[in-house]
Amino acid sequence: MTTLNPVAVGPTDETTDRPSRRRRSDLAVLLHQIRYEQLSFWRNPQAMIFTFVFPIAFIAIIGAVFGGGEASDFFYGRTGMQYYTATIAAVSVLGACYGQLAIALAARRQTGVLKRLHATPLPAWIYFAGLLAHCLMVSVIDVVLVVSVGALYDAPVPADWASVGVTLLLGSVCYCALGAAVASLVSNSEAAPAVVQFVQFPLVFISGSYFPIHSDTLNTLAGLLPVKPFNDALLSAFTTGDGLHWKQHGILLAWGVLGTLIAVRRFRWDPRPE
Amino acid sequence: MSALVVDGLRKRYRDHEAVAGIGFTVEQGEIVALLGPNGAGKTTTLEILEGFRSRDAGRVEVLGRDPGDRAEQRWLRERVGLVLQDIAVEPHLRVRETVARSAGYYPAPRDVDEVVELVGLAEKRDAKVKDLSGGQKRRLDLALGVIGDPKLLFLDEPTTGFDPTARRGAWEVVRSLRDLGTTVVLTTHYMDEAQALADQIVVLNAGRVVAQGTPETIGGRDTARTRIRFARPDGVAPEELPVVPTEIDETNVTLEVDDATEALHRLTGWALARGTSLHRLAVEQPTLEDVYLSLTGDAAGRPEAAPTSRRQRRRNRRAA
Repeated sequence: MTTLNPVAVGPTDETTDRPSRRRRSDLAVLLHQIRYEQLSFWRNPQAMIFTFVFPIAFIAIIGAVFGGGEASDFFYGRTGMQYYTATIAAVSVLGACYGQLAIALAARRQTGVLKRLHATPLPAWIYFAGLLAHCLMVSVIDVVLVVSVGALYDAPVPADWASVGVTLLLGSVCYCALGAAVASLVSNSEAAPAVVQFVQFPLVFISGSYFPIHSDTLNTLAGLLPVKPFNDALLSAFTTGDGLHWKQHGILLAWGVLGTLIAVRRFRWDPRPE
Repeated sequence: MSALVVDGLRKRYRDHEAVAGIGFTVEQGEIVALLGPNGAGKTTTLEILEGFRSRDAGRVEVLGRDPGDRAEQRWLRERVGLVLQDIAVEPHLRVRETVARSAGYYPAPRDVDEVVELVGLAEKRDAKVKDLSGGQKRRLDLALGVIGDPKLLFLDEPTTGFDPTARRGAWEVVRSLRDLGTTVVLTTHYMDEAQALADQIVVLNAGRVVAQGTPETIGGRDTARTRIRFARPDGVAPEELPVVPTEIDETNVTLEVDDATEALHRLTGWALARGTSLHRLAVEQPTLEDVYLSLTGDAAGRPEAAPTSRRQRRRNRRAA
């Protein structure tokens, strides 16, 4: 160990801050945060591989089962691969944004990582913006991977990329907000994966992600919950490309706002409740 | 302006009053040690000063601002460094990256490599955090506490789990920070740490300040009675001694006196005249640990425990 040199500008005086203690712009701090959030993700090979291998394996299995099938009423006039390429892409976005974020936040709180961060001047919104950027990045990679593997089984590439982009952005923001909300409501990290699954599994089931649902009651109900609107918007953006989907996007946005409100009011950085 | 002002601070958890009216002041550039048994209110007090917990009553000023005011939070975080106990960093980043990451959050950080070197992690700069030992992780915490070039630094048991060399190193870091004008508030269970570092000591017990002062004078250490001890010479009855012992058994004699010079003169004069040796003759002022234990009520049942454990520790340290 050595002794410490004064910082170049010298010790602060009591009344005024030295000229260099001026804040960096929020944008500079945000880019810094995104960079290091990415660095810690790519430095963890296990987490990285599972994040990307899961959707690939899933769509490959679906392809082996439904590849080369004809369009049918069961898949609303689409082929099985057309249908599943969209819903599996949607499930992987849900997993990357909602599930993984909720579990990661709960674990980081439990281990004290969040408290350490909270002890620095990093504004909370920049921390969450960095996480959102990360989840968006993973979502885009997941969608590209699913579409690419789907193409090997003759699923056509998406018809309307602009609509896919808007839907993806809204879906990611909504699911990240819900992930942060769930992390705010569970108090310990061991419970987080169970709570995440408890919400996600039935939701994915009734939203037609694994097989098309032909019950009007169920479809009306699921249409108001956060998963089916995303599935539907992505499905038509992938296949028919009939412009924007105001209703679905509106519902996603509403859930996103609800999740954000819960997170803002209830999020804790400290592992021990007061 | 004082770096820290605490006045009438109170905090209650349900039916338990963790902090029951604490007050003390810390001047800029001072090192202050908060001592007290577990549950005395040290951590709660620190967490209120750090802005992690709300308070029920009292006035708190950190660098002239109120840590309970959310609007002040960012300003304070830019100027206050924290080394806490229940914290961690991302396990997969490297040491230097971890420090560089935190540096980016501050308006005027210290040089990253200088700080890594400062805490003795230069050789580990490219190691992943998850591969560090417990003591090395604590040193990384210290690096993260000082990277923002704080005016005020809170250290919650900063050297717990350090080996003796690392502890001395950490003390050097704390002293050099103080020499640059940084105010340091630390908690510790090591009396030698408080003795070596602190300009001022505040002893807490059951949520209250029970004593406050310099390490030399706290609890009347400087005016306390001197203790003289020696092995009881063979075949000497208590009445034969030229002094009145406070305690005497088959093997040892202990006396506590106001004027050690006079007592020693009489004792050694008597021994020389008699041709007797006073084996293991020792003259002791109460140690900081003696004072601490009597202040916090732990000493009552075992008055001899303090010096023994202190010697024991010193012996262990030499062996290590």
